[in-house]
Amino acid sequence: MNSPTRDINARPPHGKPTRRGFLERLGKISFFGALAGTLTSSVRFLLPNVLYEPPTAFPIGRVEDFPPDSVTFLEDYRLFIFRKPEGFYVISSVCTHLGCNVRWNGDGEQFNCPCHGSIFDRNGAVDRGPAPKPLEWYELTRLGDGRLQVNTRRLVNAKFRFKA
Amino acid sequence: MTQWSYHSLKEAIVRHRVWRSAFRRDMADGDLGNAVRVVGNVFLHLHPVKVRKDGVRFWYTLGLGGMSFLLFMVLTVTGILLAFYYVPSAKLAYQNIKDIEMVVSYGRILRNMHRWAAHGMVITVFLHMCRVFFTYSYSRPREFNWVVGVTLLVLTLGLSFTGYLLPWDQLAYWAITVGTNMATYAPIIGEDIRYTLLGGNIVGQGALLRFYVLHCFVLPAFVIVALAVHFWRIRKDGGISGPEEVAVPEKLPVATVPGKTYGLMEIAQGTELTVERDPADYVFTWTHLVPKEFLAAIIIITILNVASVFFNAPLEELADPRVTPNPAKAPWYFLGLQELVHYSAFIGGVLVPFLIVATLFALPYIDTGNRGAGVWFAPERKTQNILFALFVLIMLTLIVIGTFFRGANWALIWPW
Repeated sequence: MNSPTRDINARPPHGKPTRRGFLERLGKISFFGALAGTLTSSVRFLLPNVLYEPPTAFPIGRVEDFPPDSVTFLEDYRLFIFRKPEGFYVISSVCTHLGCNVRWNGDGEQFNCPCHGSIFDRNGAVDRGPAPKPLEWYELTRLGDGRLQVNTRRLVNAKFRFKA
Repeated sequence: MTQWSYHSLKEAIVRHRVWRSAFRRDMADGDLGNAVRVVGNVFLHLHPVKVRKDGVRFWYTLGLGGMSFLLFMVLTVTGILLAFYYVPSAKLAYQNIKDIEMVVSYGRILRNMHRWAAHGMVITVFLHMCRVFFTYSYSRPREFNWVVGVTLLVLTLGLSFTGYLLPWDQLAYWAITVGTNMATYAPIIGEDIRYTLLGGNIVGQGALLRFYVLHCFVLPAFVIVALAVHFWRIRKDGGISGPEEVAVPEKLPVATVPGKTYGLMEIAQGTELTVERDPADYVFTWTHLVPKEFLAAIIIITILNVASVFFNAPLEELADPRVTPNPAKAPWYFLGLQELVHYSAFIGGVLVPFLIVATLFALPYIDTGNRGAGVWFAPERKTQNILFALFVLIMLTLIVIGTFFRGANWALIWPW
């Protein structure tokens, strides 16, 4: 007589689906799925959705605040306001290399970076040094009340002039 | 009348029920006492009962690993104390540091100790790596412990870098601005790394809090785990490295008493006595290593204390995003990289550091040969040693140039 008991650890022939195999796979998928979900949400958690940083568009004053043919450094906003006969334009003072403030050298008509020695010409184009990109130009507009507004999210090219 | 003396008082204490509950065993002199003092103590049982005689020579290890660990402990203690007065807020942090410097009792000395111990740890960890290289101690079977060690070096630099921002002064602010901008040159994920690290786009409140959490919780936790693995593996990989045994140890037939093994008593390695490998090659940790460690700890802590009384950690003006100091320099151990960054941000900030760390991790699996392990500057390893010395020399040269020979606008200057 054959014994009615069977070896519960016996493996069926390869490829044949079994309840045990199915449950094992289900368990693995659930485990690694949960792990991936936990990791993804943890990493996503680290990326802030709200920033309490200074606004990216801000009024800087009126036309008459800037004398004709002048360069004004607004240190709070890290940018230079140029008022030239052909119009206004705004160049960022943030060095494109590693983020130091460049200085305007009025005599040489160029920008110098104190950190790694990059030099930019009067339009912010790279003259010398490790900086990979020209200084950024920001859009300048006039608000309804007559004040000028800079928007650092809107970049313009070096041909930009704002006619007052 | 009972005659009270120091001796009888001591006897009364050590025989008391409470004392006996904490220290169960009498510390007999001799070999048993030496063994029990180490295995019976949770803090000391990190050590084996006996260590190889060559391994405890000061001029073999220079004690650099132990010194690094000691400095880590000093940093933990001083760091916890500083944390009682420090709030990671952009509005308060600088004021807190000023208070620690000027108002808090012993605050200045504690901050100085934290600073100098941090610099010291960067140096000792680096020198420890050099020692392990020049003695070829990462040869089989110790390859993986070198990997753990390189991880610890990276973590040490990370701890030092994150701590650099916390005073929230000009030095801190611009070093971190430059440092985190370097990350943006990493391909594809560069901007995301910076955004995640700073918790925003600028070095502000979010960045200060993140660096604080990394500095005080995340990185120390990783260091403690890595240290545990590092120490545990020293034991499991066969103790501290040393010269190869002269011959394959041959089993010496000895009449063994059933149930008694020599290994358990730490008289011999293994269960039986061996020839060519005298038990005398091994010495008791308690008598030969612990006193040395204790002495080294006292000397280092004394030096740190004296240095902290006379030399102050730098503190510049309050961080000002509007004004970049000229020149703006990273922490000194990154000035070699900053010197390269001056030529190309990608090469100095991403490529070279990546290549250095990747090479260091892979080193024990590339540099296989298993000859010349356990001795300084083995003649068989001339090429490797010269290459590594060259690497160290170049890095030091770049650091010296960046530290002393670079002035305003990163122009070359003479330091005098």
